[in-house]
Amino acid sequence: MEIHQPAGVAESRPRLLLVGNPNVGKSVLFKNLTGRYVTVSNYPGTTVEVARASSTWDAGATEVVDTPGVNDLDQANEEGRATREMLARHPDALVVQVADAKNLRRALLLTLQLAERRRSSVLVLNMMDELEARGGRIDLEALSERLGVPVVTTIASEGRGTDDVIRALPTGSRLAVDQGLVAKLEDAYARNRARLEQVNELLQGVFALEQPTQPTFGVRLGFWAMHPVKGLGLLAAVMAGLFWLVGLVGAGTFVDLMEVGLFQQRLNPALLRVADAVLPFPHEHRIEELELTVEIPVSPVHAVPLGSSVREVEVPEYELTGPVVGWRRAARFGHDLLVGEYGLLTMALSYSLAIVLPIVATFFFCFSLLEDSGYLPRMAILVNRLFRAMGLNGKAVLPMVLGLGCATMATMTTRILDTRKERVVTTLLLALAVPCSAQLGVLMAMMTRLSLPAAALWIVLMVAVVFLVGWLTARVFGGGSSDLILEVPPMRRPQLANVTTKTMGRIRWYLVEVIPLFLLGTLLLFVLDRLALLDALARVGRPLVVGWLGLPAETAAAFLVGFLRRDFGAVYLLDATIGPNPALDEHQILVAMVTITLFMPCFATFLMIAREHGRKVVVAMTLFIFPFAFLVGGLIHRLAGWAGL
Amino acid sequence: MASPKVAWGAKGGFQLCPLCGFEFQTDDTLCRHGCPLRSHCGLIRCPGCGYEFADRPSGILGRIRSLIAPREAWEEEVCALVPLRTLRAGARAEVVSVRESRGDRRSTLAVYGLVPGAEIEVVQRTPAVVVRIGETELALDPAIADEILVREPPGDPKSPAP
Ligand SMILES: Nc1nc2c(ncn2[C@@H]2O[C@H](COP(=O)(O)OP(=O)(O)O)[C@@H](O)[C@H]2O)c(=O)[nH]1
Ligand SMILES: [Zn+2]
Repeated sequence: MEIHQPAGVAESRPRLLLVGNPNVGKSVLFKNLTGRYVTVSNYPGTTVEVARASSTWDAGATEVVDTPGVNDLDQANEEGRATREMLARHPDALVVQVADAKNLRRALLLTLQLAERRRSSVLVLNMMDELEARGGRIDLEALSERLGVPVVTTIASEGRGTDDVIRALPTGSRLAVDQGLVAKLEDAYARNRARLEQVNELLQGVFALEQPTQPTFGVRLGFWAMHPVKGLGLLAAVMAGLFWLVGLVGAGTFVDLMEVGLFQQRLNPALLRVADAVLPFPHEHRIEELELTVEIPVSPVHAVPLGSSVREVEVPEYELTGPVVGWRRAARFGHDLLVGEYGLLTMALSYSLAIVLPIVATFFFCFSLLEDSGYLPRMAILVNRLFRAMGLNGKAVLPMVLGLGCATMATMTTRILDTRKERVVTTLLLALAVPCSAQLGVLMAMMTRLSLPAAALWIVLMVAVVFLVGWLTARVFGGGSSDLILEVPPMRRPQLANVTTKTMGRIRWYLVEVIPLFLLGTLLLFVLDRLALLDALARVGRPLVVGWLGLPAETAAAFLVGFLRRDFGAVYLLDATIGPNPALDEHQILVAMVTITLFMPCFATFLMIAREHGRKVVVAMTLFIFPFAFLVGGLIHRLAGWAGL
Repeated sequence: MASPKVAWGAKGGFQLCPLCGFEFQTDDTLCRHGCPLRSHCGLIRCPGCGYEFADRPSGILGRIRSLIAPREAWEEEVCALVPLRTLRAGARAEVVSVRESRGDRRSTLAVYGLVPGAEIEVVQRTPAVVVRIGETELALDPAIADEILVREPPGDPKSPAP
């Protein structure tokens, strides 16, 4: 009998499709098979993107494709769609189904669906260590016979069994399970129930697993983490830890090391000297005494100093020592473009690499740690109630927390939410009020200039805006929200290798995304400064910035570059707030912080929102966000002035 | 004699089987045709799956009646069916029915093994209900847990090994 298969692209070279439930170790096996690490994630649904790489065992002759974890191939969600499409596109590819050996029941449900699609496959039972630790046993021979495909066992995290998988590949065969009954059923639910019946039959006498006798530490921690009381305590501790690491160590110590220690004390003077040698014109740079203090922060205002170093170095500002004529004019232009006050090297690179990078890297490290440990779904459970009020469910906490790292990345992750309404509301909140880590770090630094009540006001205001806007949009925006159904993976000790690769992957993504925008922003400032438009801009923005917000006219430039990147704007403001004679007083810092926080995160986010939700949504959001930011900023200016803050 | 069940029962004498979700008319069942007990037995057999359940009068009148009237044996059995949400943490139970509601939720739950007949253990109740089905831990909105009817095993909460 001929088998009808959807028309696909002709196979140019053999392909393997890795398919499996979420969280079974698929990504780790993918890495073992290809030598390449993609995402190792403990949160169901973070691997929405499909990863491909070449095999290692046959010198790259085979292409290995990792698909998002799915529980049900008929599922209507993003993961289901992506995996279905991959299967349809490669009708002849061998499927390597990865299963959690402990949870064979759910794996076989997927196996049956593959059988219905008449796929050839190899079944890999991963996490055999955990099965053995639990005293479980599987009759591999019987299982293999009943399914009609080879069955291999692995411990992917230790790299064991990979060779067996490779050896089994040529013997991969079509699943031999009778699917006549299921095929006749119309309704998805009825089909799944029929499959479950069949799974029970298949597992008869093949699989045994006892209930765990005494809970391990991981199990107990996992239980606490979602407990209504202990869980909130743990959440507070996690948040405090995150704040300490990212807000104080990352944005304080690491930034100091990079910005003062590396850039201002060493790199910038060297760059200046090179620029002066290559592009000479009569000028002399100002010499400043720069002090680097390395300290371990204990609280926002206390720190344990470790040491300090003072260096007298040249800074980009200079005075002319003679007339600049002829070709020297061009030399000066190049000099300023590269190492001037708005220089591509001195400003863009030091902003992005010395200030933003350390903060973002620390955040991504923490996030990957939380992700790998299995904590994030538990966080979703804890905040579920709260998010319900905003027409969201607890799952939305993942993009929100990731948004504390990078709003663009987080906007992409809103795909894991079930309804369009949830995706749009979450995106709006991300764009409006969730500051990304770079900005948060900068804001944190600005906050040290604020009094306690003013700082508290800023925090309360941001939280209030999130909930108020969320609550309102949930009411205004039509469409359904969904109830929480979330699998809770076991808590595991995060593996350093996984955490580092995930962190590195995110940092790389971020740098590619960010550095061009910093260069662009700096270039814009440089051009405006050159054309003497910065002053003109300050004049145009005067009514808004001075009249409405009560800020000095020069800060208009901060809001202008804030359009490009919110954190760029914030860094710019930070420059104006710290230093010997700050341009902003405490009240103005508060107003500036509020306004810049509510700004659209950055141009990249803007593009991402357009990509994910369409042009109409992005226009509506922009039209809402900018006036809203200025409105709230102005109101705070008046309110706080009246309250004496 | 007009049976009070039709008057009190679900609209137009329609019944929803709590086990399989099959919807049928009371008059179509064997209970109305040839059952010697007729209206005295108080149970209705679902023509779909054969499950027998109580045709309990609903509404205020019914509630008042059930308050006054002594419980009969069959009522005891039916009362053993409770929404999942009411179970305490640590309780084990057998899922009896998952109510059909919006979208493909029943099917989603089925994928995790949460189907009638499954043995479950309640891990916690708030802020979300977390149940363990075999090796799977699943967090559910309380609203969903309300729609799942379970039967607690009689006596001590010890369930047979799967
Ligand atoms: N104990 C144990 N853990 C594993 C094994 N394979 C993977 N893991 C861990 O299981 C978690 C989920 O793995 P991952 O590859 O992200 O699963 P995926 O969602 O299927 O891609 C990670 O923390 C891995 O370190 C294994 O064989 N044994
Ligand atoms: Zn110079």
